[in-house]
Amino acid sequence: MSQRVPQPPVNPALRDLERHDFWPGFVAALAGVVLVLCGARHLTGVDTVDGSAAQESQLIKAFSSGGLQYASELPAPAPPSLDDPAAQAEALDRWTRQQANAAPPNWTVRVDTDAKTPCPT
Amino acid sequence: MECAVPHCQQREPTVLGRKLARFRPWVQTGFLAVWLAPLGRWLHGIPGCVFHCYSCPLSSFACPVGVAANYAALLPAAFEVPYLLIGVLLAVGALGGALVCGWACPFGFLQDLLGKIVPRKISLPGWLGYTRYVVLVGLVLLLPMVLGFKGIPFEKQVVSICRLCPAGALEAGVPYSVQSVLAGHGWVMSWFKTGILVSFLAAALVIHRPWCRIFCPLGGFLALCNRFSLFHLRFNPKECVECNLCRSRCSMGVKVDQAVNVPGCIRCLECTTCGAIEPCFARPQKSTAREQSV
Repeated sequence: MSQRVPQPPVNPALRDLERHDFWPGFVAALAGVVLVLCGARHLTGVDTVDGSAAQESQLIKAFSSGGLQYASELPAPAPPSLDDPAAQAEALDRWTRQQANAAPPNWTVRVDTDAKTPCPT
Repeated sequence: MECAVPHCQQREPTVLGRKLARFRPWVQTGFLAVWLAPLGRWLHGIPGCVFHCYSCPLSSFACPVGVAANYAALLPAAFEVPYLLIGVLLAVGALGGALVCGWACPFGFLQDLLGKIVPRKISLPGWLGYTRYVVLVGLVLLLPMVLGFKGIPFEKQVVSICRLCPAGALEAGVPYSVQSVLAGHGWVMSWFKTGILVSFLAAALVIHRPWCRIFCPLGGFLALCNRFSLFHLRFNPKECVECNLCRSRCSMGVKVDQAVNVPGCIRCLECTTCGAIEPCFARPQKSTAREQSV
């Protein structure tokens, strides 16, 4: 911006005191560095697909690569498909019973560390 | 408006001020290599400190705003404290305040370049800066959390900061849409988001940094650190001749003659051209400006 824009005259009486101390900024910066170091080593309460606890960086990476899996969003396994109609009916019946008796997953959300889908938003 | 200060035209910019004003676009260009590093996708697990979409094909770090919104949406399913995110933003803010806005942010740089095309600008009232905090609290934190409690994952939330973000529209939506058009599948980005992008690009022609001034939640947070950051601006009353050069050079509408370490400042350092305002790092001010002027 190289041009001068006309302004109202300066009134020194309106000048703010603007005392600026060293320690608040220094303590806050130190706190930030400590939090970064904590975050680098922190294991979250979210598990990965292979069962281990996800690191915070893995969780953040999952945000951008479609790596978050929700148990409520998991697709149901596909029903069996066989050539023989009689065997198909029996297999379908067995599959239906298995789905009805299947225990819900013991996780709510987990991280897929291999996901590479760009965020759709 | 005719400048009422009699010697307004007599004060020339200082050498340091001229150098900073010439140097800044090159620093902003250099930082593009940091944020647009195609080999740096492995850094997606680390939140950045500027407004840059992590869905961009060339992005290196993760967008801190998107990360914050994702954490908020994840809260009902898993209570996680974003140590990395808070730590990065606190460290950057405490070191420089909004300095990254004026010198490193790629979206801010784009608005600076667009702002050079049309010389005349529309000035905005200062209170519009508070809408940044409405966006931060409402759109980035509360809305994803509320929808998360309804069982809607962040990616499926119809209204979110990422679905409305013009930076994401430009840096991710446009490349993927162009790729899709070339493959014969049509424009994939929603026309609403495309309209938001076009509106912001048009606004940046006639308003200085409209996104930064009105909506940017990241800039709003970093600007809060201006009051106590180690890097700050110091007013030297002995050098002030009340020429108002500082205020006339400010593109953000900050009343520099009254206070300079305020949340509206992006620390572009244009105001330092007059010589009465100087950049300082980690030097405590022993006496206030008013005490010095007595």
